[in-house]
Amino acid sequence: MSRGNLFLAGLLWIVIAILVIYPLSFLVIESFKISGSDNFGISNYIEFFKDAYYLKTFANTLALSAAVLITTTIFGVPLAYILARYRQRGKTILTALTLLPIVLPAFAGVFAFIIFFGKYGTLNLVLMEIGLIEKPVNFIYGFHGLVFIQSLHMLPFIVLSLSAGFTNIDPSFEEAAEVEGASGFWRFITVSLPLCAPTYLAGGVIVFLWPFTDWLTPLILGQVDFLPSVAYINIAYHFTDLHRKYMGIVAVVVSSVVCIFLFLLARRWVEKRKYTGLSKGTTSEGRIIEPGPVMKIWAYIYMIFIAVLVLLIPIVLGLSSFSRRWVFEPLPTYWTLDNYRVILTETPLLIKNSFLFSGVALAFGVIFGLPAAYIIVRTKVPGKNALDFIITLMLAFPGMAVGVSYLLAFWENIPLATHWIIMPLALFARRLPYFLRMAHSSYLQLDISLEEASEVSGAGKIRTFMSISLPLLLKGVLVGVVMFFIMAFQEISTAIFLYRGGWETMPIGIYLNWHRGMEFGIAAAMAFLMIVITFVLLLIISRVSGNVLRAAWGSDNK
Amino acid sequence: MKRRILSLPIITVLSFTFLFLSSLTTNLAAQDKLGWVGPVYTELSQSLTKGFTSYYKKKYGRSVDITFIRPGGWPVCLDKVRAWGNKPDADIFLGAGAPAHELLKQEGRIVPYKPKDWDKVPADWHGMKVKDAGHLWTCFAPWIVTNLYNQKVLKKLRLPAPKTWDDLLNPIYRGSVVHTLPYASGTMHEAVEILLQSRGEKEGWKYLRLLAAQLDRFSTGSTDTTHITSRGEVPIGMAQPQMNAMVARRDGYPVSDLLPDQTILVPEAVALLKNAPNEKVGKIFLDWLFSMDGQKHVLQGGYFAARNDISFAKWEKEGVTMASHAKKALGADSFWSLDVGFIEYDLELAAKRWDEVNRFYEYEIYRKWGKLKSSLYLIEEVEEEIRVAKSQKMSVGKAEKKIKEARKLFEYDGDYAAARLAAAKARALLVSP
Repeated sequence: MSRGNLFLAGLLWIVIAILVIYPLSFLVIESFKISGSDNFGISNYIEFFKDAYYLKTFANTLALSAAVLITTTIFGVPLAYILARYRQRGKTILTALTLLPIVLPAFAGVFAFIIFFGKYGTLNLVLMEIGLIEKPVNFIYGFHGLVFIQSLHMLPFIVLSLSAGFTNIDPSFEEAAEVEGASGFWRFITVSLPLCAPTYLAGGVIVFLWPFTDWLTPLILGQVDFLPSVAYINIAYHFTDLHRKYMGIVAVVVSSVVCIFLFLLARRWVEKRKYTGLSKGTTSEGRIIEPGPVMKIWAYIYMIFIAVLVLLIPIVLGLSSFSRRWVFEPLPTYWTLDNYRVILTETPLLIKNSFLFSGVALAFGVIFGLPAAYIIVRTKVPGKNALDFIITLMLAFPGMAVGVSYLLAFWENIPLATHWIIMPLALFARRLPYFLRMAHSSYLQLDISLEEASEVSGAGKIRTFMSISLPLLLKGVLVGVVMFFIMAFQEISTAIFLYRGGWETMPIGIYLNWHRGMEFGIAAAMAFLMIVITFVLLLIISRVSGNVLRAAWGSDNK
Repeated sequence: MKRRILSLPIITVLSFTFLFLSSLTTNLAAQDKLGWVGPVYTELSQSLTKGFTSYYKKKYGRSVDITFIRPGGWPVCLDKVRAWGNKPDADIFLGAGAPAHELLKQEGRIVPYKPKDWDKVPADWHGMKVKDAGHLWTCFAPWIVTNLYNQKVLKKLRLPAPKTWDDLLNPIYRGSVVHTLPYASGTMHEAVEILLQSRGEKEGWKYLRLLAAQLDRFSTGSTDTTHITSRGEVPIGMAQPQMNAMVARRDGYPVSDLLPDQTILVPEAVALLKNAPNEKVGKIFLDWLFSMDGQKHVLQGGYFAARNDISFAKWEKEGVTMASHAKKALGADSFWSLDVGFIEYDLELAAKRWDEVNRFYEYEIYRKWGKLKSSLYLIEEVEEEIRVAKSQKMSVGKAEKKIKEARKLFEYDGDYAAARLAAAKARALLVSP
């Protein structure tokens, strides 16, 4: 084992210690503090689990998670099957559309749906006009609305994991079932679906955890009795009421523990039950079916239905960004460029901040991620699995936990939070797994003999890396770079706790303009601008990687 | 070809990063600074920023960089200032009514300063304080706590506009009212205080319990309430700053102010924070804010101006676009010529118990909202059954006594579970007395 590798691993561990372990331990310590004294104890936790209100929010969150998982599964199974199996014209574009929510900021969807599905929004007005309904229907304000919005946002995760599962099934299994006389549907239920269980679970757990981290959607819809929203209110609205703050932190810790526990459980289960077919020679594409004409039409209708729902987000936001007021009329009637004038001339700072923070975070991500991937894939440094594990765990951590812990940890002893560098640092820590996983899988695909050849010929490790590995890794890494940038660009849960006057990013600007001012049009214009930027970036990755599926997923479907 | 595709995004991303890095550093060089913290709306902050920067440039030949921090309603802003301790991140506390500024004063977080045109702001109005005699805080934009309603939607639902606080309890408005929690919004807190002080604590809480049963839902702030009402999601929005209706109307929403029978003045005020990092610029700003130019920018920002020597009609002629909207909204030529019914408001009491009131509302009404509603609905059902039975000349004495007990348990004790139980017993007594 070379000393260089050990040194490198040591450096990475120091970064992890400072940016992950140190702040998160602060969070845990804070949750044990007892207000009004210097003592520590578990009384906050006891209160949390005895208080009927907190228990209710916990139960609500669980119910929401279950409802979202069930909804995404019901809608996701047919969609994934169509995507994985059917040969259809225009599949690529429809696939891209149904997967779009992954890269859209979650809050953008909420604003769009409020405009479209609100009581005097487009849909209700149209329905009333044609006389189908007398009084407006409440489509989105309530539990059902939350389920709808969160499900649409999380649907891609289920679809991607299931379609990966369907693709990987050895066709001979299904053919065997059909030979034995199982009908198409019966074969699907008894053979295809169970074989997908491990990959389904990988996506399912991410879906299930989302209501434990998403505080903003419930808040915008005025349904705040959910764990993350209550935590946010306790911390952000009551920060000098120490007891309330500690209770909020307890709520954050509880949701983090739930997230991590379920995440690990799913991971273990998936690893234990990975099905491996013994046969060789399956196509990498999996089984492709040419559907009958009726099925084909249904498949199209279904895909278009989902795509339209997704497309509503950019369309509605786009329209309202050019209008000042859009309600009581199916389409806006007053058109203006004023919203864009305001964001481009009066508050260009937000756009600048967003690019600056995400860009710096990206630089950190690359500087950290490439060596980390190298250590994990290419070396036998002790503790490399633990390194991989901790970084992957950041996927499951609620953004609020990162934000609050950074605020606690970097305020007094290490006063980083008084400098804007805290923003990219936090974004970097939060979005790290996105880059690492891409770099990781590209490293796996890079044949080690190329590097060995270079070293045998006398090039040093660094030179080998620069002239051999890096150029070959570039494609995969680039997808990771863009994904990382997109995810950092739309981050709000962490940033909202850390920003100070002058550090607002675009997501924060959207939130403030909508929630604290009457500026719906400006918020819509910012959201639309973000969607456009994201779309351009996505276009770049899809050109580079040639595979929209993988681009949107941002990892190798592990 | 491949290479070009690859290098393009990298170059773009990197160049953006460097571009913004460099522009950030140049921006920070040699500029006067000013920081505001407070709950005023974006539109006002933008109007004031515009007005003051151009004034500053003209007068001092330098540009001034203004940062505005608005973490939430005034209670949240106040908390922010407390969290800063002795090293505030801003110079001026911009906005919020007397209770907030009285708290700032009590805690010693603001210092006195007498702006140049201080005398042009009245000292009090209908018995309510408009500025601090010791120059600690001064009102720059007065308004009245009102409610808001959506004319279009009420008409669609064939409902009349409620005129008084008691009107809001009418069963026809059930599910048509929205308001926020007092901790999230200073205006809502003020509305709760109005009800508590005008009716007495016991009757005040009773009213608030009954009102909670009328709600469609709780909003997350008073701006949220404005949104929800303007968009017609819920037709009546409670606890609104008076000028919200004016601004929403200007933007084309079919909403109107609803001046309730009893209300208070909120003297949206401004104060200089202790240990302000840019005290000098802060004082220049305060002088400007009360000048005619500053006051016009207040109105252009969607707030009413505070000086007593102004006339909207005159400003209208001078091209102040908001003046005509203000005239229409107020039905008067200046704010101070309004005629309203104020309650006798005990500012000291309000300042002293504001935390307690917020907490009580949250724990006793908000957190038990589901139980509260199901309890009241049952009581009402049983009351109706008793009324029907009575009209059929049945003996309902025992049941009537029990249901009265249930109402008392609900309204005055706030014991919703016991009230529900008593109502169920009353129903049983009705069947077999």
